[in-house]
Amino acid sequence: MTVDTFSLFFGLLAIGCWLGTTVIVSGALIRRFGNPNAFETIRFDVGRVALALAWLVAAVTMSGSLYYSKVQGYVPCELCWYQRICIYPMAVILGIAAWRRDTSIRIYAIPVLAISILISAYHSYIQWWPPSSGTSFCSATAPCTEKFVNEFSFVTLPFMALSAAMFMVVLLVAAKSQSEYELPIEEIEVSS
Amino acid sequence: MSNRPSKSNSASQRVRAASNAGKGRSSNMLWVGIIAVVMVVGVIAVVATRGGGSPGGGAASPSGGTVVPNGNLDNGPVQVKGAGLPQMPTAGPDTAVGQTVPIVAGAQFDGTQLNITGDGQPMVIIVLAHWCPHCQKEVPLVQKWLDEDGMPTDVKLFAVATSNSSAKPNFPPADWLRREKWSVPTIVDDKDNTAGNAFGVSGFPYFLVVDKEGKVVYRTSGEKTKAEFDAILQAARTGQALGA
Repeated sequence: MTVDTFSLFFGLLAIGCWLGTTVIVSGALIRRFGNPNAFETIRFDVGRVALALAWLVAAVTMSGSLYYSKVQGYVPCELCWYQRICIYPMAVILGIAAWRRDTSIRIYAIPVLAISILISAYHSYIQWWPPSSGTSFCSATAPCTEKFVNEFSFVTLPFMALSAAMFMVVLLVAAKSQSEYELPIEEIEVSS
Repeated sequence: MSNRPSKSNSASQRVRAASNAGKGRSSNMLWVGIIAVVMVVGVIAVVATRGGGSPGGGAASPSGGTVVPNGNLDNGPVQVKGAGLPQMPTAGPDTAVGQTVPIVAGAQFDGTQLNITGDGQPMVIIVLAHWCPHCQKEVPLVQKWLDEDGMPTDVKLFAVATSNSSAKPNFPPADWLRREKWSVPTIVDDKDNTAGNAFGVSGFPYFLVVDKEGKVVYRTSGEKTKAEFDAILQAARTGQALGA
């Protein structure tokens, strides 16, 4: 398989992250401002799988990042490294949290992912519209403005990182804790 | 916490019962759906890129002897005579100013030899990378200015195509520069970027301004306006750095 295959695969997954984010956020808005009981079953199911899915997104993101740098030899730029610092640990700590069904991880993970989102957004911006003055981001060894990947003319590597981090944040917010995993209970009154 | 069961005051026994045992199963179905979607995405990626080669060869090179010559050399042999320049600092004074520029001998895209040396004339050396978006924007501008004003007769212009890699966009550099009708004599750097390093390149596009005695007058990088480019040529002529 060529790098084009992998780039298309990761590019489609990035778009999938946006679709997932849109669906979850839309559902949450409808429940909050419309019908509070809407999508009850799917909300319950998404809450159950959200932590594990967030870990899966982090693991795939890290794998893709390592594939491009170690297999394809793309040298990570300075901004790429900052995003890696934010996302790589998620592949471990979200796995532990998913195993323990510990949603308190969101207190630690979301701020880190928010930083990653900001860096990725800026990185995507300077790749789409390279600054006309100066070349501090166009160094000889690892240029930040170079688009190694440009699927569909807009899905670049930092855009993939942005999509993954954003989806992880939404999943962490949607995740249900251990106690909330328990099946809904029904009270049956029995005459004594 | 409204979903907690409320306490009943009646004398009743509370029995908890899993009212919806099927919900656990539906979570599993969600996982199956997610895995299926990922597999479908993988299949689409494989099928869509199967048999896809690199884009076909570029259009026929424009005629005209002044443009980049025929040939698709990606890396050429490079020899350096003299001490290389230090990398241009991002801030602070440039210690390379006044230093003698090394003579770099290399090959053009068609393999013919080119020596970058002033031989008593001032010169400007432009270092380019095919994948650098700034270079991609700057090259057509410089070429337009040279077409309008003519090649300077009192300043030698040279270029170096460095950091060439088939893994990076806009490869090969020969196709790119031919497309832009680049008329500046250009050396193709080797795989170790010997020429670029000898000139102290730190970012692209990189302009090295050299006086008639072969000493560094001024170095700068980044996209330039017409006025800035004219000032670079003037700095080479006068041996005075911009603003000095």
